[in-house]
Amino acid sequence: MTSKNHPTHPNRRTFLGLAGAATGLAAAGMRAGWAENRPSVAAADIVGNVHETDVLVIGGGMAGLFAAVKAHDAGARVLLVSKGRLGSSGLTPFAKGFFVFDPKTEKGSIDDFVAGVSRSALGTNNPVYTRQLAEHSLARAKELSDWGFFDQTLCHRPFLKPIAERGIPRLERVMITDLIRQDGRIAGAAGFSLDGDGAVLTLRARAVILCTGAGGFKPNGFPVCDLTHDGSVMAYRIGARVTGKEWNDGHVTRSTHPAACYDAWGDMFDRVPGTNGVEIHHDLGVDVNYVAYKTGNPLPGGPPGMVEDSAIEGGPVTPAEFRRAPGGPPPGADNDRPPPPPGGPEGKGPGRMGVPMGGASAGMAIHKSEGLVPIDDRGTSTVPGLFAAGDALGSHMAGGIYTQIGSSLAGSAVQGAISGEAAAEYARGVDLAQLPEARLAEIRSDILAPLTRSAGYGPAWVTQTLQGVMIPNFVLYIKKESMMRAALAYVEELRDHHIPMLRAADLHELRLAHETANMILTAEMKLRASLMRTESRCSHYRLDYPEIDDRNWRAWINIFQGQDGTMQLEKQPFDSWPAFG
Amino acid sequence: MTIKSIHGCIGCGECVQACPCDVIRLDPDTGKAVIAYPADCQICHLCRMYCPVDAIEMSPEKSIPVIVAWG
Repeated sequence: MTSKNHPTHPNRRTFLGLAGAATGLAAAGMRAGWAENRPSVAAADIVGNVHETDVLVIGGGMAGLFAAVKAHDAGARVLLVSKGRLGSSGLTPFAKGFFVFDPKTEKGSIDDFVAGVSRSALGTNNPVYTRQLAEHSLARAKELSDWGFFDQTLCHRPFLKPIAERGIPRLERVMITDLIRQDGRIAGAAGFSLDGDGAVLTLRARAVILCTGAGGFKPNGFPVCDLTHDGSVMAYRIGARVTGKEWNDGHVTRSTHPAACYDAWGDMFDRVPGTNGVEIHHDLGVDVNYVAYKTGNPLPGGPPGMVEDSAIEGGPVTPAEFRRAPGGPPPGADNDRPPPPPGGPEGKGPGRMGVPMGGASAGMAIHKSEGLVPIDDRGTSTVPGLFAAGDALGSHMAGGIYTQIGSSLAGSAVQGAISGEAAAEYARGVDLAQLPEARLAEIRSDILAPLTRSAGYGPAWVTQTLQGVMIPNFVLYIKKESMMRAALAYVEELRDHHIPMLRAADLHELRLAHETANMILTAEMKLRASLMRTESRCSHYRLDYPEIDDRNWRAWINIFQGQDGTMQLEKQPFDSWPAFG
Repeated sequence: MTIKSIHGCIGCGECVQACPCDVIRLDPDTGKAVIAYPADCQICHLCRMYCPVDAIEMSPEKSIPVIVAWG
């Protein structure tokens, strides 16, 4: 057998044919799958840099901002590292509503608020985190106000103010790919810089706070394409527990230009952020997916929460107390959602953006419901020295459903601040862990591997394949066992035979390669958790188990890597902390 | 296309920093912003909003096939 006919080693003529086909595909908008790799950067020439700090904050959104500021103010040396730039990456730049519980203006008490959220969330919220949100939101809003956050439409500069005043160093446009665990506790992280000739970075730290947000499958119509669950996947790989993967965010886009986030959200991205008080909803989102599943398109109703209950038999259930009147909320009342189509508050003509179309935020769960399992109310994870905050923490602050408007942004601020103080406290009691050179060399090799392959799968093509498997309504949203098992078989194939053969020609594609791997593992988590939860509750809807099952499912699902490397799942009863914590 | 064009760039690099998806780079020869990876644009307009000289024009069209939950 010569290598000439080996499918992974095309000869020159075959390769030219492939390249020609790839060019044709590129012209048609398709991306090449398997192809020769022609790197523009030589992996061997990429330098290695080492940084040391007490508290490493990963992520430059609302949670990362407060984590860095509060860890610094608690006496720690802090280093902030972000895949993008402070205040202009992740979901933070696009969130305009900030929930504030102000006792002076609220009619009800904090107890009333926690009880209301808990009723809407059907038990899925962790009331300790729900209460914490209300108790700390006003203080965080005041600090943001001092920094000028509520005076602008773009939040880089107001975020930079407290960071620069404190002299907190930043590493931006750096993708962290690995958390490093040594002797049972966190020892730092590693990743690479996107700029110049690149650099592999080793960041030694006494404590690490993941403020990496959640993520999706680079979906169309929601500005989440830079978030690929990097934090929870890295943490999972070093033994942390991850939760909430069965919940679904149900944002829709529009049939006309479905990928155009800015256009679909009207003037929202241009707005100055504002605050709002208690306003508890049960915003399903997946009710629209159900209507589309049953009736096709165009949908008879509007956006999430606005489909009349009587229109379609069955489907996800909203508790009676939280059903919206037909016609939905008054325009502009909802700071977390795009304006209703068509003819929304901006007076756009009918059909300007077309009819609602699902999957805009595919791969993302409800804010604060997915991510690292906390063992206490300070964002402490199951790995000593590793903390998380915001959408990277599975705090279940709001539950498996949108409950309090504006809590997404406020929750990140509140949790970031608390985890910052907790991490600084932890860091005072430990030394920097020693990192064996052999382990660092292995991590460097893994980080750069896609650059060194002579041929491989293009990460963009693998991502598109994953999207085709996971995003359809009948897989991700309207769930049933047979279809999820089929999707899982696809995802396992991508995991076992495509992740190891991802190629990258430059630093941008290297980022895509690592993001693609993270999304594939997340897809596996979502499918396994969704298969395990044999009931329907909040934003998780099973066509084959349409009822709430309180007898068996007053529990969250935690995911962890077993001794043999396989994905394991366990139940954790609502209103409890991890038993082994 | 997604980011449709960049005209009148002053080479400040603000858009490169502001883009969450690493779509824009500064051309090493000209020092001006170029649309390096258009397929990864999420059409969020942050680059346009951060640009100090309004050099960036956007299009709502994605340059690669768009996968949604139903067709």
